[in-house]
Amino acid sequence: MKDILTPRERFGMLVIDEKPDRCPVIPLITSHAATIAGIKLKRYYTRGEKMARAQIIAFEIYQHDAISIFSEVGIIAEAMGSEFAYPDNDLPILKNPILQNSSLDRLTIPDPKKNGRLPVYLEAIEYAYKAIGDIIPILAYVPAPFTTGMHLVSPEKFLVDTLKNPDWIIDMLNIVFEATVKFCYEIINAGALPIIVDPLASGSVISPTIYKEFALPYEQRLIHYLHRYDFDVILHICGDTTAIMDKFPDTGADLISVDRVNMLKAMEKLASKMRLIGNFDTTTILFSNPDDIYALTGKMVEQLKYAHKGYIAATGCEVPIRAPKENVQAFIKGAKEKGWYWA
Amino acid sequence: MKKVKRIIPKKIGLDAWSKQFQDFPDETIKKYRYYNNNEWGVYLSPPATFMVYGLRELKRLKFDNSFESLRMWGFVFNETERLFRARQINKKIIATMGDLGIVPILVLSFPDCVPFYPECLWWTPFFKESTELLDTASKLGTPEATCFSRVVVSAFHKRSYFPKPDLIIASTGASCDDYSCVMQVVEDMGYEIMWVEIPYRKNPEFMLIKPKIQELEKTEQGFSYPKVIEEYLVKEYHRIWERLFKLTGVNNPHRLVETIKKVNRLRSLVAEIKTLNARAEVAPLPGLEMMTIEFGNLYGYADFDEWLDIIQMIHALVKNRVEKGVGVLKKDAIPIAWITPSADPYLLNLVEEIGCRIVETEYVINQAMVKIEEDIEPIRALARSFINGSLIGSPAERVKNIKERIAKKEIRGVLITNMLGASHCAMETRIMERLLSDVPVLSLDVPAPFGITQQIKTRLEAFVETIR
Amino acid sequence: MELNQTESQKLPTDLIGYTCSYIPVELLSATGLRPYRLLHGALGLSQKGEQLVRVDACPLVKSNLGFILENQKNFACIIGSTGCDMSRRFLEVIRLMTVIPVYIFNNPRTQNFDIYSNEIDLMVKELEQFFHRRFDRGLIQRECERWEKVRSILRQVDARRRANPSTLSTKTFHNLVSHYYQGDIEKIKIDLPDEMSYKPRVYLIGSPISYEAEPIIELLEKRLRICGDFNCGLSRGIYINLQEKTIDGLKKAYYYQPACIFKRPNKSYYEWIQREITETKSTGVIVYVLDYCDNFDFEVFKMEKRINLPILKLKSDFSFQNMSQLKVRIDAFIEVLGSLRAGIV
Repeated sequence: MKDILTPRERFGMLVIDEKPDRCPVIPLITSHAATIAGIKLKRYYTRGEKMARAQIIAFEIYQHDAISIFSEVGIIAEAMGSEFAYPDNDLPILKNPILQNSSLDRLTIPDPKKNGRLPVYLEAIEYAYKAIGDIIPILAYVPAPFTTGMHLVSPEKFLVDTLKNPDWIIDMLNIVFEATVKFCYEIINAGALPIIVDPLASGSVISPTIYKEFALPYEQRLIHYLHRYDFDVILHICGDTTAIMDKFPDTGADLISVDRVNMLKAMEKLASKMRLIGNFDTTTILFSNPDDIYALTGKMVEQLKYAHKGYIAATGCEVPIRAPKENVQAFIKGAKEKGWYWA
Repeated sequence: MKKVKRIIPKKIGLDAWSKQFQDFPDETIKKYRYYNNNEWGVYLSPPATFMVYGLRELKRLKFDNSFESLRMWGFVFNETERLFRARQINKKIIATMGDLGIVPILVLSFPDCVPFYPECLWWTPFFKESTELLDTASKLGTPEATCFSRVVVSAFHKRSYFPKPDLIIASTGASCDDYSCVMQVVEDMGYEIMWVEIPYRKNPEFMLIKPKIQELEKTEQGFSYPKVIEEYLVKEYHRIWERLFKLTGVNNPHRLVETIKKVNRLRSLVAEIKTLNARAEVAPLPGLEMMTIEFGNLYGYADFDEWLDIIQMIHALVKNRVEKGVGVLKKDAIPIAWITPSADPYLLNLVEEIGCRIVETEYVINQAMVKIEEDIEPIRALARSFINGSLIGSPAERVKNIKERIAKKEIRGVLITNMLGASHCAMETRIMERLLSDVPVLSLDVPAPFGITQQIKTRLEAFVETIR
Repeated sequence: MELNQTESQKLPTDLIGYTCSYIPVELLSATGLRPYRLLHGALGLSQKGEQLVRVDACPLVKSNLGFILENQKNFACIIGSTGCDMSRRFLEVIRLMTVIPVYIFNNPRTQNFDIYSNEIDLMVKELEQFFHRRFDRGLIQRECERWEKVRSILRQVDARRRANPSTLSTKTFHNLVSHYYQGDIEKIKIDLPDEMSYKPRVYLIGSPISYEAEPIIELLEKRLRICGDFNCGLSRGIYINLQEKTIDGLKKAYYYQPACIFKRPNKSYYEWIQREITETKSTGVIVYVLDYCDNFDFEVFKMEKRINLPILKLKSDFSFQNMSQLKVRIDAFIEVLGSLRAGIV
């Protein structure tokens, strides 16, 4: 079947509860785009134009349904003062969190147009939007406050303080929330739809109680902020989120992107309230072969494409940086072929 | 609603609107809803929302900074969603094509029927700064040197700009060839169409024998026509009525009377806004907003009641601004008339930037601007209203009003926008230039999306220089 | 081909111009004037017309405008219809820019015989009053007989063109039928030379072939034989099926003639040409499209789908600059026809 709609038209139909020509296919192609485009990873995440060009090249090759402006989740923390190391061929690594003790004095709200690599993202959005924004949605991944918080202080201290010093954590997250909103504001004005990622709020990292107390409220507030614009908001949480799945509708998100969960269960619990995104295993994308990936994807899409409020075929998490091109193509081919709705 | 603070009227860009929007309380945003729907009916979004969803031109357009205008833009840009939602709540979607202004009044007189004009999508490639819809139209076989309304072919093909209509009423006849051909292509795509005839007004000038005065009728705008033209239309409108009756199972002529009253309420508000806007010392609203308001007369952007409410609000705003002597353009802006709407909204911004002010328009929708008679049989009243139509008469009739205002020194220049290959532009423009030659006339071809070049800007500047 | 000054001077001064196949020629000639269909297509005339309309107007309309501007005194009036938009607006331009009286007749695009019938009645009334003539039964019958006789001759001639093998070229037919459209019917004769041809048979449709189109027809017929057409400048006008020699008969005959492509819907246009293509045993179709002629330009895509034969689309603005390119395209078209015959394609 030949596509009838552009990715943007397809996404537009999905968010108003209409069936497009086929289900959108949005593997989370983030830094993997740099590999595909032959751009050094460090250049990808330090230069907006390179990031955009990598994403555009990836789109030209893969013909997926949204491009993803993203490298890693420390970006807001970095703009707030945390130090990162920038390896040539890998993603930035947290070196020195800005907060070494329980004082928040050093914490300032960054200017997204000036601080850290936030301008890199904004430049990438502007560039991509200008180039192909008419036909494809530009998604900009924004770490939720909980995930950013864990990059402002050592993760161990952060987690311990959620129990020992919760007020401090909440004060910190309130500041982070302001910073995140400010970043979202600029992302929107640049032309991208912010998608909220909260990987460290995953069940693989924290308990449902911690999630409910420290992650969920900020996800809710952020989503509320975006709802004021009448956006349909995507929330992505990696890892195993089975234990907090019931809470997802409470976030207010319109689309939920999940990773290591049983999708049929997710469909049962969530599909009448939210649109589902997911959740092809990224290890398979990295290590398996195109034929198997094609078959598995087709099976997944056939099971999920009639999810009540809609479905986006995606990988559970980011496509691995060095995933073979043929494997990603097999995923996209399988999803497109089996995701057809129109007669 | 918390009172939104009053601000000095001016034209602002998308960034400034986003900033202003941050101050809006949630209750305000939630208050305005189309179809009164509490689940999904909100539409009060800043331009940034629609820009993120692909309307790229919003990044460089300038808008009026009033809350009222924001509400209007949110509503207008939301139309595609609105049409799909209408279908989801079992309203009947009626595509009214080609007549620009009357058939929707018939449709609105039937319960739960939503009329819309697919041809209004002609702005979409420009708002998107994208040739994608035009390219798709070409792939589907439409020629390139024709009216931008050819994007309708793409829209019917894609099924993502409006739901499949329950009924398509296509008016053709003494109208442009381009759109008649577009509608034929739509039919060939498998859509069932109810064809309706639009007759030529036939001013006595285009007859060999001047008819006796008793054989002639006169429209609200002063155009003469033989009575028989009215009869042709009355028959056609009765046919539409019957068809809608068949579709809905409802036949309540009283509703038509009520709809006409409501439409007249809208039309008189818009007429007043136009007059206030043209006569005020300082223009209270920019040309782009004014054009959008005028086109709302066609069908209320698929929720007539909500649109009427928006226009009432704008009317109050304009009145208030005029009373206070404030507005959005400079006092010494040059009053010009604009003939044939521009498919590219940016052109309206540009013209104001170089110092003009649009005080009169002829946007090919004359028939939607006049008041419908309320003291005669309603279907006949509709027919009489349609006979004011822009495209069913001669170019001399189209410019009559502008010519009169030029004579009164109220208009100092005329801008005509054209589309390459569009049948009426090709045949009318040179004549209109001649008829209006008492003032400088600039005729511009609207280029493809994102195609406004320095050359066009220079021509506009030269136009202004000539007037000055 | 340019109409030169001498030819122009030869033009009679008792002309009643008309623009559309739906206007009964019998009613025009009942005025005592000579009906002259405006079918001019020459670059020079077209450029003259551009003084009053934009360059992107239909070249036929521009040429006719140029022709009228050059020959204003020859026309007592011009009758036009609302059929195609530019053609209707052409009448408005003439009225506004010359002293020639015009009459615009509502020719419904949709299936609406009532409007057509009523408009004929109104037109008759206008013509009677304007020319101080009474269109009584006798006059109408005489006019019907006169024109029907000519059409009958032309149909016989056309039968030779359509025969297999074809014994008359379209070039000759075009010269002959032009007299019909120019109201010069005395010149129409039946004895014409034998021009038998076994060249590939093609059917011609599209925008009107103009009086000055001979070079292009000649070029086409060097390697092809146009053995039939549905074209306003060729055989279309002669297939009016007049059953009853009255005004009512004329209404029916003209309204129900094979439908123009601008009719909505235009299904019956396709049904007609499909039948014709089969009957004339054509192996290919030429679609002649004038620049900016929406009515045909929009349809070519559909034609390619519906007509199951090779199609050659010719775009024209009446200039002959691209004749060599055209030759190459005709050659390629012939190759396709040949391959089809040989069963290669």
